[in-house]
Order: sequence, then structure tokens, then C-alpha cells
Amino acid sequence: MRRLPWLPIVAVGLIVLAALAAPVIGLADPVAMDVAHRLAGPSAAHPLGQDEYGRDVLSRLIWGARTSLGIAFAAAAIACVIGTILGLVGGYVRGVAELLAVRSMDVVLCFPPLLLALLVVTLLGPGASTLIPVLAIVYLPSFTRVAYAGVLSVRGHEYVTAMKVLGAGRLRIMTRTILPNIAGPVLVQFSLAAASAVVLESGLSFLGLGVVPPAPSWGLMIGAARGTMVQAPLLLLWPCLALTVTILAMNALCDGLRDVLDPHPAARRASWFSRFRRVAAPVVPEPAEPGTVLDVRGLTVAIGDPGDGKLAVRDVSFHVREGETLAIVGESGSGKSLMSLSAIGMVPAGVEVSGGTATMEGKDLLALPAAELRKLLGDRMAMIFQDPGSSLNPVHRVGSQIAEAIRAHRPVSRRAATTQAVTLLRNVGIPDPERRAKAFPHELSGGMRQRVMIAMAIANGPRLLVADEPTTALDVTIQAQVLDLLASLKRDSGLGLLFITHSLPVVAEIADRVAVMYAGEILEEGPTAEIFADPRHPYTAALLRSAPKDDGPAPEGIPGTVPVPGDLPAGCVFAPRCDKSIDTCVKTRPPLFDIGPGRASRCIRWASL
Amino acid sequence: MRISRRGFLVVGASLPLAGFAGKVMGQTSSGSSGKGGNLTIGLSSYPPNLQPWVNAGSAAGTMAALIHRGLLSFSADGQIQGELAESWERDGDTGWVFHLRQAKFQNGSPVRAEDIKWNLEQVADAKSTAYMRSQFQGVERIETPDERTVRLIMKQPTVAVPDWLATYFMPMVAPGTLSRDSFAVGAGPFKLKKLERGVSIDLEAFEGFYKPGMPKFETVRVVAYPDENLRVAALQSGDVDLIDYVPWAAMSQIEQDKNLRLDTTLGPYMYLTFNGRTGPFADARVRRAVALAIKRDDIVQSAFFGRGAPLEGLPLQEGTPYYDAARAHGWRRDLDAAKALLAEAGLSGGFSCTLLSTAQYGMHKNTAEVVQQNLADLNIVVNLHMPDWATRVALGNRGQYEFAVNGTAMESTDPDNLSSVLDDTAAPSFIRSTGITVPGLSALLHQGRAEFDTKKRRAIYAKVEDLVLQQAPFVGLAWRSQGYAMKANLQGFTNIPGPLSFYSATTLENASLA
Amino acid sequence: MEWFVKRLGISVLLVWLVATIVFLAIYLVPGDPAELLLSQGGAAPDPAIVEDLRDQLGLNRPVLEQYLHSMAGLLRGDLGYSMMDGAPIAGEIATRLPRTLELIGAAALISVLVGVSTGTLAAVGAGGAFDRIASALAGLGLAVPVFVVGTVAILVFAQSLRLVPAGGFVPFSQDPAQHLILLLMPAGTIAVGLSATMFRVTRSAVLEVTLRDYVRTARAKGLSFRRILTRHILRNALIPVVTVLALNLGTLLGGTVLVEYVFNWPGLSGLLVDAVNGRDYPAVVGVVLVISILFVTLNFVVDVLYAVLDPRVRHG
Repeated sequence: MRRLPWLPIVAVGLIVLAALAAPVIGLADPVAMDVAHRLAGPSAAHPLGQDEYGRDVLSRLIWGARTSLGIAFAAAAIACVIGTILGLVGGYVRGVAELLAVRSMDVVLCFPPLLLALLVVTLLGPGASTLIPVLAIVYLPSFTRVAYAGVLSVRGHEYVTAMKVLGAGRLRIMTRTILPNIAGPVLVQFSLAAASAVVLESGLSFLGLGVVPPAPSWGLMIGAARGTMVQAPLLLLWPCLALTVTILAMNALCDGLRDVLDPHPAARRASWFSRFRRVAAPVVPEPAEPGTVLDVRGLTVAIGDPGDGKLAVRDVSFHVREGETLAIVGESGSGKSLMSLSAIGMVPAGVEVSGGTATMEGKDLLALPAAELRKLLGDRMAMIFQDPGSSLNPVHRVGSQIAEAIRAHRPVSRRAATTQAVTLLRNVGIPDPERRAKAFPHELSGGMRQRVMIAMAIANGPRLLVADEPTTALDVTIQAQVLDLLASLKRDSGLGLLFITHSLPVVAEIADRVAVMYAGEILEEGPTAEIFADPRHPYTAALLRSAPKDDGPAPEGIPGTVPVPGDLPAGCVFAPRCDKSIDTCVKTRPPLFDIGPGRASRCIRWASL
Repeated sequence: MRISRRGFLVVGASLPLAGFAGKVMGQTSSGSSGKGGNLTIGLSSYPPNLQPWVNAGSAAGTMAALIHRGLLSFSADGQIQGELAESWERDGDTGWVFHLRQAKFQNGSPVRAEDIKWNLEQVADAKSTAYMRSQFQGVERIETPDERTVRLIMKQPTVAVPDWLATYFMPMVAPGTLSRDSFAVGAGPFKLKKLERGVSIDLEAFEGFYKPGMPKFETVRVVAYPDENLRVAALQSGDVDLIDYVPWAAMSQIEQDKNLRLDTTLGPYMYLTFNGRTGPFADARVRRAVALAIKRDDIVQSAFFGRGAPLEGLPLQEGTPYYDAARAHGWRRDLDAAKALLAEAGLSGGFSCTLLSTAQYGMHKNTAEVVQQNLADLNIVVNLHMPDWATRVALGNRGQYEFAVNGTAMESTDPDNLSSVLDDTAAPSFIRSTGITVPGLSALLHQGRAEFDTKKRRAIYAKVEDLVLQQAPFVGLAWRSQGYAMKANLQGFTNIPGPLSFYSATTLENASLA
Repeated sequence: MEWFVKRLGISVLLVWLVATIVFLAIYLVPGDPAELLLSQGGAAPDPAIVEDLRDQLGLNRPVLEQYLHSMAGLLRGDLGYSMMDGAPIAGEIATRLPRTLELIGAAALISVLVGVSTGTLAAVGAGGAFDRIASALAGLGLAVPVFVVGTVAILVFAQSLRLVPAGGFVPFSQDPAQHLILLLMPAGTIAVGLSATMFRVTRSAVLEVTLRDYVRTARAKGLSFRRILTRHILRNALIPVVTVLALNLGTLLGGTVLVEYVFNWPGLSGLLVDAVNGRDYPAVVGVVLVISILFVTLNFVVDVLYAVLDPRVRHG
């Protein structure tokens, strides 16, 4: 969670405080006239001057805040409460309630706010008591919609279903379970509505439909000052300035609140766009062994500013050879995806590579200018992601998404690329590829989509394929088919496959070698068969024990959780969960021990296991 | 100079806009030649309708003054002058004789005595919605001894007949040309060419107008600018040549601009009406206390930017025979007297009441705010009720208020016009107080209406004024300045002084741009 | 098809509801058209004349009868005649509506051009100097009421610099160049606030979409920055942008009162305000009816647009 937006909170707080304290801070009477000094400029007694009746502008400004903000907050609060209830009921109960609660808002929306005000104010007479319900009606639909949409998105969630199964009543589910989950967007809507109500109040007061004079309000002040704009421009400036500052502060507060309540807060600040501007001095990497597709050495990745020391990946080295599959395996949160993405230059937002090299075809991917890296991505190296549903762009046809990958690297016509895309689809085993090429992603099944992703990845004949949990989102039969497809691709084209997974059975099926990752470090590495038969790290052993087997006893889970970057144990990262842990393990972090041909372990007790 | 600067700026800003610059200049330079040419008028509102005889406000009146002529009109110095009637005279106690001149309607047919008779009958018709209907229902008969003579016999002696006929409520239109939604054919200097409803009306000179050499403009374009600030801006930027209802805030600014000219007169006025049926204002002493507590200078300053004058008596113009300096200041602010009156009425501790005004018009709103402040000196707590104008009119007509701010102007300088705000026997209206009967007042007003002798009339209206000052069924607040602003080179247009200001467009027949 | 019929049914119901509410509301509001018409200029009309006019205008019939008469007229597509001057309401709306649509359209065009481009730029450089300045300006744009923007614009561009006329309207057929010049200021004024809104929506939508998996896929394909931005990010960010734009356009229908007033632009909002002020019942009902029909149509167009923009909606 992000820090609270203190600056806007303080600003809004000060404004509200000034408005609340208006009667007690010794201001001049805001309605006392002094016609002899009308339109007088600033003086000691009247710091902001006097208006067209000689009234004190500063006093009217602060009392005006009381009126304007009071009306705006009251209206927003009423709209918020009623609108949220309507949206909740409409979204959760459905049926007639939905029609009445949500569709009826369309009737309100058919009335432009000013017409609504015109009608209601002429009906009820002007004044704050009329203005509050008018503004509340104006903002009612937005709250209803926000709440309704929120309910629709959470009502299917497991916890709501769970509550239902537990026999909780509708009211209880709505208030206890759904309401807290939609509170974020509703709160943001509240501050938006309050800000906008201040502006609308000023417009209505300007038209004479708002606050009744002589009560001060910013809108009345602006409306009156417009008439004397040429003689006394400052009179127009003050209320406009007050309004602007208030709205700016409230907008900033809205943005801040949204950031706090948003699931991806960090990314809002730093976007990956900056990567496109990165210019780094090229480093000449050490030459790698022949036949190596990717050679990663000492890769270290920091979350946020590298100076903060939150290292999510620390000093990781590995390599992938031609025609070989290296599996990176580990629990969720072990940093395996982050590490693999970073290794090929696809550093996610909010993350910095703070050390190491990743060599491919003699170039360090980590130091390559964006334009150079781009030439390699999708061409010499390609990726497949976990969720093919979200990894394909929903608004483009799959054929054209594949063709796009081709045309990014090959000077071919659109038509030729499309033909090629159909061929690729056929190669990955999609039936009726001509028709499927014209489909949108949502029209395909999950397995189909992953095949499309694979087709896209191999479109340009890459040397390296990074597959990030490519089968996790698929059911078991499809999983096997996709693994077979990947295996045959590797066999046929001799590409190196970097396979990221948390599933040991998958590793056993596809990998030649395996690297076990935990808390941003590689704990053990070696040929798959050897590791499975003879694990040399307690974590590997624990993982193997926890894997489901076709026969035998139920798997044991590993007690405890993966430590988070920035809060790592001083010694071995696995020590707190390790049943073989000794004193040294807790005190010093072990290096990676070379324990045989192609094998390494980060356990000081590797020999005794 | 201004034109070339603007042209330069536009061309300088961006070359492709050069074509636009020409257009902008074309707009400004229109009507610069003295003979023929075009006059563009910026009016405060688009006339709600253009039917003859009805009262549809001053914008419609201005249109009527451009398109129509009646038997008589008001001259630039405020005197009644002949129009379709070359001359007129009284004929016995109740009779009036009008001698028509040789004139033509805009459809070419001559203006004959029967046409005039037809017009007067239409106005007095039982189903007519004419503003002067009840006045002309006081006509006993109309005779047309020949083509060019009209004799009007009233049921009672009536002094104000020529005043009535000189207003723009009494245009003479060609019979049979009346339609529900358009203008009837008139006999005035300009005829209707084209109208863009709600936006503008284009007129062109009527070649057959009966005054030789008039009108001087070839075309007149009337554009509605309801926003007063924009109306001024349009004049300052040269989009229009003449504007009405100059906002008071802009007057000094216009006076300082040597390219512009301001012509103002004190015509309309603001006043208070009361509901005497119940509540404190049923007591004349309370009403008089209110009259004595108002700081009228503050109203003039804050509602009219100093462009007005205190109105401390009846709205009788200084310089007219009925003006009396002492009575005219009968309600000069005297807080002690006011407090004494309230004490006498048993309300020395003050009371709380509601003042009806409207937020739709700044002058009503501002006046109410000052009244509210001033009455605080008498411990009277005034709440303001400011609905829109339509509601305010309805509440006023139904007597659903305690006291109210209003503004109006007399239709002409004749004191009989006071009846409209004073006559307590007339039907209830928002322009008069409700439920207040001042014994003898109505009778005096009727007497004045029928009295031709100026000296005797003065005596009658002096009594009226004394009664009103004492009983305060009406409390004058302030005269307000009614202004026209124009380009300095617009000649021949005059703001007719006093309440006749609204008829000023009549003088445009003789106006031209030098 | 069934969807369409259902939708049409709801729309008709909606429009009928709105017309009825307006009809009843305006009759409940104090004030009387005949009285007002005859009270112009602070005059006191003869009550007999007022009664006669009320008879002529049909105001003395029972409200239910007037309502049924009015609804029957609406069913035939007859909006009735103005109580002010007897002009047909339909004709009046027909001349005013295109002006308002033109104003809103021009404002929307400017706002989309300005708001979407700056919003995208700000999102691309999120946290940078441009982003900060543009975000602050957008806050300002949202905060300053249109009537202040309009007034200041007139003061600067018309009165001081004399670059443009102070306001008004010239039909396109009469003088196209002048027409466009006169359109520029009010449209620009509306666009100040609307651009700020578009800026904010675009910025947050782009940032949001940037986090999506398919954008990562696009990067992994080695697409150029421009192509990722236009084809993958903006194309998807457009969906919320269109939603918010449509919502704002709906509000602007009949909501341009202040701008029309300040710039003397004779549009539908001005007609509505005049009609309410003059208690011109048929005109009020007619204008609101047209606005609600437009609103319903706009919603329909937006739904169609969604289907165009988002294939998932098309099939779902």
C-alpha cells in the first residue's frame, strides 16, 4: 500500500478547517455593508479589499467556503449514500430492483443538471436547502453506477459465494462483504462529486438559482464580480483562486486515494515507458561457451530504487544451451518470473536491474539500448506467458497479432505475413487455421490461445524461448498437449527453452536441467534426473516431497512462507523454514557450492544430506 | 485605425486566417458611409413577439418604433408630435379630432381614416389582448367624416388620450395583414426583411415613408445580446453601433472611450410594494417607518453604480409642472422618526419579515440586499425571497408576499400614469401593493384623469402625493439611469428624456453614421 | 433483434417518463405564461385580458386534459406552438438544435484532440515535468467555471486584442468564415473543462492499460514504441475515454446554458432557459423531450461504438 497523500489531505483539511472556524476567527461581518468604500482595494482592515457593497472580501471568501463546501459535501454525501444503496441493491438483488434502481437513473441523466436545477429551484425556491437535494440528484447516477459496477464485479467472487454457502442473509452479504470491497471506487467518486459540486454550485449561484444573497458563496461572488470586472478585477480573482485551489486539492486527494486503494499502486508512478528512453554504455561481456544461447551472470534486480536495498533477485547466474530446456522452479514469490523477464531485458515497471550481465549472441541484453534490444525481442528470443487469455490483445484478431510479430522484424507485406500466420497456426496444431486466424482471442479456448501465443513466439524462428508458466492456466489434457508441442519445437529447431514453473511433474516431463529458485536466489542447479533422484538442498527435497504423486501418501506442504525482499533472514534464506538448519545457517549466507559436474547447491550441509 | 490594427494582428498571427480578417473587417466597417449604409443595434433581449398593440417589453417596443407609426409620437425633446396625424385638437369635453397626412402603409395602400378606425376597434375588441384595451374601451364612438379625418368621442373627459396614442402600444397597421406569429404591415420608416428567431432581425428602409429624406439608413440590423457584459463588449469591439440598457457598471468606461458616446436619462425607478392584508405592513406607520429608514444613496451606489438618484417621494420628474421640491423629498432618511413611528405602532423591538425580490435581475437583487441591511437599523430582520422572475410575478399578483421590490417606468410624463402603481381600486397586480386602501386616493386619481386645467390638476396631484407620503402604499427608492451607448459618429439618435426613454428608437428615422 | 426491441421499448418508456415529469413539474411551478407575457416591462395587465389569453392558449382547461392533449400531440410528432409568439416549437427546435450540436461537436473535437494527445504524453512521461504541469493545468481547467473562462476570453480576445467579435451568431450559409470564427470562442470555452476531463481519463486509462499482459506481449514481440502505444495501448484505452466523453456529451445537451448566455450563441439551452423563464410550457416539454431522445440515442450510439471498439462486447 502506498503512503497516504498527505499534502492534499492537509490542504483540504485546512480549507475545511477555515470554513468551519469562520465564526470564531475574528473575521469582519461578511454581510455588513460599507457602500462609501465600495470596490476599495486591499487595506489593513480589509486584506483582500471590499466588494461592490463595501463588504469585506476575505471574510466573505471564508464564509463562502463554509457555504459552498457545506453544500457540496452535503450533496455529495446524500448522493453517495442513496446512490450506493441503489447500486448495491440493483447489482446484488437484480431483477425488478435492478431495473428500478439502475434504469431509473437514466431518467435523471436525461435532465441536464442546469435544467434540473431550474425546475427544482423554481418549484421550491432558491437557497441552500434546495441546492443540496438538486446537486444530490445530479450526482446520484454516478454513485449508483459505480456501486452497481463494483457489485457486479465482486458478486461472483469466491468469498461472496462462500458467505452464501455459509447461509448469510442478503443484507449481511451486501453490508459486510460487498460494501467494503467497493468502498474504494465509491470514496473516489465522492471526492470527485464534491469537487464538481463546488463548480456547479458556483454556476447556479451565478445564474441566480443558487445561494440566496446576501449569504456569501463563491459562485455569487464570481457572478457579482463579473459585472465589475473592469473596475475591480481582483474581486473576480479571489473567489476563482479559492475555487481553483480547492478543486486542485480535492482532485489531488482523489488521485491519492485512488492510488492508495488501487491494486497496482507502484506502477502508477513509474511506467515501463521510461525503458524506451534508456541509454546505457555498452559493456563488452565475457565470451560465452559455444552453443550457449543465453548466458546470465550475477543478475541482481531491485524493487524500486536500487539504493533502498530491496533486492528481489540476487546474484543469479545460469545459462541455456541450444536444444536444451532449463527449468526454473520454485514457489510463488520466489522471484523466478521477475528474474527471467529481467534476464532478457523485459524488466517490469517499478523494478531496476542493479547488476549482472545477460549475454546473447555476444551482446549484453541488460546494457543494450532499447532500439537494439527491440530487434532481438520477438526475433532472436521470444516469450510465452502464463495466462493466454490476458496476454493476447482482446481487440485485435489473432492472425493479425501474429502477422504483426512477423512484420516487426521482416520486411514482408501484410498479406504475406497473414499467410505465414495461418501456416504457423497450422504448425502449432490449430484446426481450420484460416478461420481461426480471423477470430478474436475471446472466441478461442484457453489451449487454443496458448497455441496462438506459441505460434506468435516462434514466428521468427527464435534461438531462445522463454516460457513463463505456460501451462498453469490450462487443464491437464491441454497441458500435456502444449508441453508436447514445446518439446517438439525444441527438437525440430534446436532452440533453447527457458521454462519457468512451480510444477515439478512438468519439470520432470520437459526439462533437461533444472534450477531451483527461492527468495531471489538459485539454491540448487543440475540435470533434472539427478536432482529428482538426489536433491542436495533441503528446499529441493521439501519441494519434491510436496509435489503430488500418482500413488503414495498425500504430499506434505512446506511450513512457513517465502520471505519478502527487504526483509530477508541474515543467513541462509531458507533457514527459518529448514528442518536441517544449524547455527551457521542462521548467521551467514552460504555461497553456491560447486558439487559435481553441472551441479551446484547453496547448502553448507549439501554433503551430509 | 482600429480596423487596420485588428487586420494586422490577424494577418500577423497566421496567414491562412487572412481571409477571416477581411470578414471581421467587413463586419466592423459596415455602415460607415453617411448616406444609406447599415445600422446594427444590440438589444438587451430578443422581442418575445412582434404583434402590434400588445405589451411585449422594451425590445418589442423598439422594433415597433422602427417598423410602425401611430397617430402621434414623442419627439426627441419629449413633446407629443404628429405622425400619421398631421395635427389634432380637442373637440368639446370628450372629443378628439385627428387630421391625417398623406401616408402609405408598407404594402403600398394609403392610410385612410377607416384604417385608423379599424385599428382602434381592434384594440378595444372584447377578445383583444391589446395593452390599451381597457383605455380604448372608454371610446364611445369613432367617426370618419372623410378619408383624412378621424373623430374620437370618449365616454368621459380623458386628458391622456394623446399620450396613449403616442406610445408604441398604439401602432396603426394595414387592416387584414395581421397574423398570429408575425408582424403586421406598418407605416413606419423600416420594413421587415428577414428574421432569425431569437438571434437577429433585419430591416430595410421603406421607400414610401411619409417623411421626406427619411429614413437615412439603407438597412437596420437588430441583434439580441441578453448578456449585458457582452452587449458592451460588442459595442467596444465594433460589432454593433448602438446598444440599449447600458449596464451601470460599464457607463464610466464608455464615457472615457472617445470612440463611443453615452446618452443617459433618469427614467425608470425602483420602489417597494406592501401586502396590507395581514402582518405589520397593514399599519401605515410601519410602512412609513420603512420609507424613512432606507439609505437611498446606498441603493444608487451599489445597485446602479451611482447612476441614478434617490427617489424620496412620488416618481414625478423634476422640471414638469407636477414636481414639488418639498414633497419630492418627503421620505428623506430620518431614522429617529422611523423608530418613533415603529414605537407608536408597538413594534419598537422590531420584527421579522420576508422581502420578495428576484435573483434573475441584478437591480432587483441588489436593491433588496440594501433594503435588508438598512432595515436592520430598525431591528427589522428581513429574509430575502428571490425566486425567478416568473414566480415573483405570480406571487405578486396573488398577494403572496409581505413586501416586495419592484421596478418600472411611467408610460409617459402625464401624472395619470401614477394610477398604475397607486390605484387601489384596480385589479390586483404585482406592480401595486396588495390589500391597502387609502381613502380618497382612487377618487383623486380619477379626478386628475378627467381634469384638463393644469393648475387644478397640480392641486389634485399635490393631494395625491401628500396622501401617499403619509400612508405609504408605495415607497419610492431610487431613480435609475436608462442609457444608450453608441459609436461617437452616430448622429440623429436621441435618448428621449425621462420615462420616454423607451420610445427613443423613434428618432432612428433621422439617424445616420457620419 | 430481441435485444433491439427491448432496448427500444425501454427508451420509449424513458422518454415518456421524462416528458410526463417535465409536464407536471412545469405546471406545478408558480408563474403563468399569459400573465407573464402581458406583464412585460413591469406593466400591470388587465386581468380580463389575461383570462382571455389563457383561454386562447388553452390554459383554462383541466390539467389532465391539457396533458392528454399534449401527449397526443407528441405521439403525432407535433410539439405544439409557442405560447409567446405562436411559432411552431418543432421549427424552433429544428433551427436551434443544430447550433447546439455544432457547438458541442466542436468542443468535443477540440477536447479530444487536446485532451487525448496531452493525456497520452503525460502518461508516457508519468511523474515527469510535462505530466506534472499538464496535470496541474487540467486541475485548473476543471476548477474554473465556464462563465469565468468565457468572460475572460471575451475581455482578452475581443475587447483588448480585438481579434474576434465579442460573440453572437451568423448562419453558416450566410458567412461561413464568420460563422466559424464565432463558433471558436464558445467551443473553446467549453473545451477548457472538457479537455481537462479527457486529459485525466486518457492519462489514467493509458497508465492502466500499460500494465496489461498483452502490452507485455507486444513488447516481447519487439514492436516499436509507437506501434505499442497506438495499436495496443491507445486502442484499448479508447474504451473508457469514449465512455466518459459520451457521458459528458450527454450532460452538455441542454447543459451549455452558461456558455450560450455568455457568448450569445442562440442554441437549445438558451431556448430552454427562455422557455422556463417565460413558462412557455409546450416549448419546455418539447425541448426536454428532444434532449431526452438525443440522450437515449447517444447511449445507443455509445453501445454500438463499444461493440466496434471491443470485440468482446460484440459477441458477448
